[in-house]
Amino acid sequence: MPGWQALHNELADSGLTVVTVALDLDPDQATPWIAKAEPTHPSLIDSTHVINELFGIRNVPMAVWIDESGHLVRPAEAASIERSPFLDIDIDDSWPERIQQSLVEIKKMPDSSADYRAAIVDWVENGADSPFSLRADEVVRRSAGRPAEHSAAAACFELGQHLHALGDHDAAVDWWKQAHALHPENWTYKRQAWTIETTPPGQPSDLQQVATETYGTTWLDDVLETGGGAVYNTTPDLTA
Amino acid sequence: MLLDSLTTTPEMFTARTGWSVRPEGLCKGDRCVPAPDALTDDGLINIEAVAQHLAMPLVTDEESGWRALGPESGGSTLTTTEVPDLTLPDADGNPFRLRSLLGRKVLLVAWASW
Repeated sequence: MPGWQALHNELADSGLTVVTVALDLDPDQATPWIAKAEPTHPSLIDSTHVINELFGIRNVPMAVWIDESGHLVRPAEAASIERSPFLDIDIDDSWPERIQQSLVEIKKMPDSSADYRAAIVDWVENGADSPFSLRADEVVRRSAGRPAEHSAAAACFELGQHLHALGDHDAAVDWWKQAHALHPENWTYKRQAWTIETTPPGQPSDLQQVATETYGTTWLDDVLETGGGAVYNTTPDLTA
Repeated sequence: MLLDSLTTTPEMFTARTGWSVRPEGLCKGDRCVPAPDALTDDGLINIEAVAQHLAMPLVTDEESGWRALGPESGGSTLTTTEVPDLTLPDADGNPFRLRSLLGRKVLLVAWASW
């Protein structure tokens, strides 16, 4: 959040508005982070993950670019503008094994934060002439495919979200398990469901997400099963 | 989209899915799909019909009766670059309409506490 606010400060006078959207089923989990960043940009909460369906968001952070006429000029893609400090951490073999293994996978995640940030600046300066602003057909072509399974996963996730909000957590879990099985690469469905099991209300999120009891898995297990840190969050395709 | 029956208003359907009923059929951006049975006699969206025409999976929670309709499938996530008329609340619960930013460039970033 502080990084996005800084980008907004830097580029707002040049015509860019950063809009951050928290994919948090419980808005109270997101609001302390928002308050701390003291945002002057629109900082919104999407408690039903509607932008997953609309744009193809499947993990965080991901972003889309929208031009002055309200059209997408880049589809949903991984969006980091700061190098993660975890990439440069020295793993200490006295740490718990799960932490060490998680960091090994995190350190495999590709870093294109500097290039991505520079691409945003170039677009703000040059608009449609920027090589990073894509033609409409290219935006559509680069958006992810949506087989029936992924579409069904979205429906299952939404139904679970609603039943959870109504107080029937067990029913929600059953629908969320279906969503996870139908679209394993959608990390927002999984991490959102797991955090409810592993983060006590009002506490900072437990990012290890050892949701073994309810879901039979953990963040690390699923990362390894779906190909490891190198494919966990794809890099933005910054070719013209 | 969440449903408690097998019909909904055209306005709700468009707001949530981006698809609207036009004389040509169901349309989103430049794409139109013929759907003569998209509307009921009462002028409501016939969910089962549009689900079939647009390959939108419809799932039902038998115990509660709630249903959810998934997005259209079989193609790519985006069929148009036109951004839907999306309104989301801010941290204080005030609704914010994305279209209020027309005329500016927007970087819309998804993040989460988890």
